[in-house]
Amino acid sequence: MRCGDLKESYLEDEKIFQSLFVKICLGIFFVVLLIVPFVAGPYVLYIMNLIGFSIIAAVGLNLLTGFTGQISLGHAAFVGVGGYTTAILVTRLGFPFWVALPCAGFVSAGMGLIIGIPSLRVKGLYLCIATLAAQFILEFVFVHWESMTKGIRGINVPPPRIGSFEFNTEKSYYFITFILVILVVGFARNLVRTKWGRAFLAIRDRDLSAEIIGINLFRYKLAAFAISSFFAGIAGGLWVGFIKVVTPEHFPFSLSIQYLAMVIVGGMGSILGSIFGAIFMTLTPELLNMLVGSSKEMFPGLDQFFIPLKDIIFGGLIVGFLVFEPHGLAEIWHRIKTFFTLWPFSY
Amino acid sequence: MKIRQLCVPAIVLAVLVLLSGMVWAQEEIKVGAVQPITGRFAFAGVNINAGLEDALMMANEDGGINGKKIKYIMEDGQYQLDVAIAAFKRIMTRDNPLVMYGESTGLGKAMSPDIKDRLKILYSSTSFSSELANPADNPFIFVPGPTYADMFGVLLKYIAKENPKAKVAFFYSDTEFGKDPIEAARVMTKKLGLELVAEEVAQVGAVDVTSQVLDLKRKNPDFVIFQGFVVAPITSVIKQCRDFGMKTQFMGTFWGASKMVLENLGPVAEGYLAVNPYMYWWNDDVPMIKKIKAYTAKTHPKVTYRDNSYMQGFMTGLIFIECMKRADKAGQLNGLGLVKALESLKDFDSGGLSAPFTNKDNKFPVARVWKANVEKQIFEPASDWMTVE
Repeated sequence: MRCGDLKESYLEDEKIFQSLFVKICLGIFFVVLLIVPFVAGPYVLYIMNLIGFSIIAAVGLNLLTGFTGQISLGHAAFVGVGGYTTAILVTRLGFPFWVALPCAGFVSAGMGLIIGIPSLRVKGLYLCIATLAAQFILEFVFVHWESMTKGIRGINVPPPRIGSFEFNTEKSYYFITFILVILVVGFARNLVRTKWGRAFLAIRDRDLSAEIIGINLFRYKLAAFAISSFFAGIAGGLWVGFIKVVTPEHFPFSLSIQYLAMVIVGGMGSILGSIFGAIFMTLTPELLNMLVGSSKEMFPGLDQFFIPLKDIIFGGLIVGFLVFEPHGLAEIWHRIKTFFTLWPFSY
Repeated sequence: MKIRQLCVPAIVLAVLVLLSGMVWAQEEIKVGAVQPITGRFAFAGVNINAGLEDALMMANEDGGINGKKIKYIMEDGQYQLDVAIAAFKRIMTRDNPLVMYGESTGLGKAMSPDIKDRLKILYSSTSFSSELANPADNPFIFVPGPTYADMFGVLLKYIAKENPKAKVAFFYSDTEFGKDPIEAARVMTKKLGLELVAEEVAQVGAVDVTSQVLDLKRKNPDFVIFQGFVVAPITSVIKQCRDFGMKTQFMGTFWGASKMVLENLGPVAEGYLAVNPYMYWWNDDVPMIKKIKAYTAKTHPKVTYRDNSYMQGFMTGLIFIECMKRADKAGQLNGLGLVKALESLKDFDSGGLSAPFTNKDNKFPVARVWKANVEKQIFEPASDWMTVE
């Protein structure tokens, strides 16, 4: 039980791990995450991998939308650029996956820079539409640049390997995802407490004021787009290496919306929120699926009724969250934490 | 003391129940399916699911697989790849079925390496994509009828017979489903000596097709084959072409052979042709259709019609059952045994639901051309069963 901690400087206030207790908890959590692949089945690990990819992409989008205030409806397309870059580099140029993955990040980042240029002129809903256009243009490119992307048939990608060891199972791939999620989250969490992160926040809160106090809007807005797309590219590359095939149908507009939903449900402007959002948006449909599955046993013949019901429940849950906790899951988590900080002797 | 006295019989009972469950479970053969029950393919998914389930349950009524009962396990894949893969893996982990059914071409392609190297299960799907009928790449996956390319082959053969110098046009959607057979169809058109005068591309559900129709009018083909659409824009294309006074004959592949298309077309369906490898609900003289109708009347008394997608699911079920029976008889009820059984299918009698099925490269390239009867709103045979070489 803690009863408060004394901070003597602003620097301490900005610490990621506020106390030894947090460090120990996190340490235990990581150990559990490392044990999981040895006890869980392929299905659980598949879902955990998916959550990992979603976290990477959602953290990227949160940097752009939650921290910098630039709404993007084209995030799935950047994920797609990453996926295709990885696939093309691995299959055509024979790059090892480990080289292709960062390249995918950089190519996506480059694409993000280009798409981000209108953000200097247009804001809010208008930017939304501009990024929406990017989604459709890139989707069109995936389908029609057949000499490169093999069109709608897509590209088969070999799994990543080190020496003769192939990462072709959910279990082995889990470790790649795990490491990258830690790297990405660690980077993002640190980024937001640097000069850059503060610049992002200033732009989000009032871009005019930000410019007046000397923040170069051009540089920081584009940087936000580039970093966000870089993460999207990494997520795309990972996803492609995991399912070993890439087609344009993997990156539909609805996926962009889903990423945005992760950021909003999780909590805009919170790295932890993106993680919660990604977990929530991936896990809830699966849990509902299981629920529907068990209800099928109890009420046979009614699956035509129960199966569509899960979409309604899912939608209802999202609306419920937004109504009752507009700051997202991160805020709920924060409340729980503060409750227990002083528990059982609260004021 | 009392509690302990109760405990012992309770534990014994529990163990007995568990054991009996295990014994029961051994008698079961599991068939898993990821079906598009919701999402944009749901219109067919619900039918396909019903067809597959009915085929398996009817087999259970007739004594199952040499005495073993079949258990059907279905999950919704929403026609979304990540959801579908998750459902697939969930079923594989939880139930470990011998046979799986998938909801889309994408799912088959994504799972193909796993099916071949790790899972080794018999797999079929809603897809008629030629990519999924390739025994060299994946011997475990089959298409329960002709591929789209084969369907084009049947139509083109029919055209060549009707009018050897016909001008043909393809009208397809900008999707995997639309483009799948086009390459093969171009080659076939050339081989049959037909003239391919136009290729029009439109989006699924497109509203404005004026430019495509104008182009068709200029090139004036004798036959137009649709591929990759469900309903829109087929209706508007045909209507507009008729408005221009064109005499062109329109044709469709499997999804264009559904009764739903006829209902949407209304009077412009006059002369519309479609290719379908299965018999229809109204073909009462077919023994298997009779059986299906009797079974439906018993289990789903409210259902008065089942579309051709139901027949597709049903046919897949029949092939699954036959393969399982053969594999079981050979004492090899596992993936490899099922593949051997699949390869051995020759002149397989589906009770008249289709022509005798002979496996050729993990597909069954036989179908017939059907002509729309506008008055009765049904399709009637326009050709006999045709096999594509």
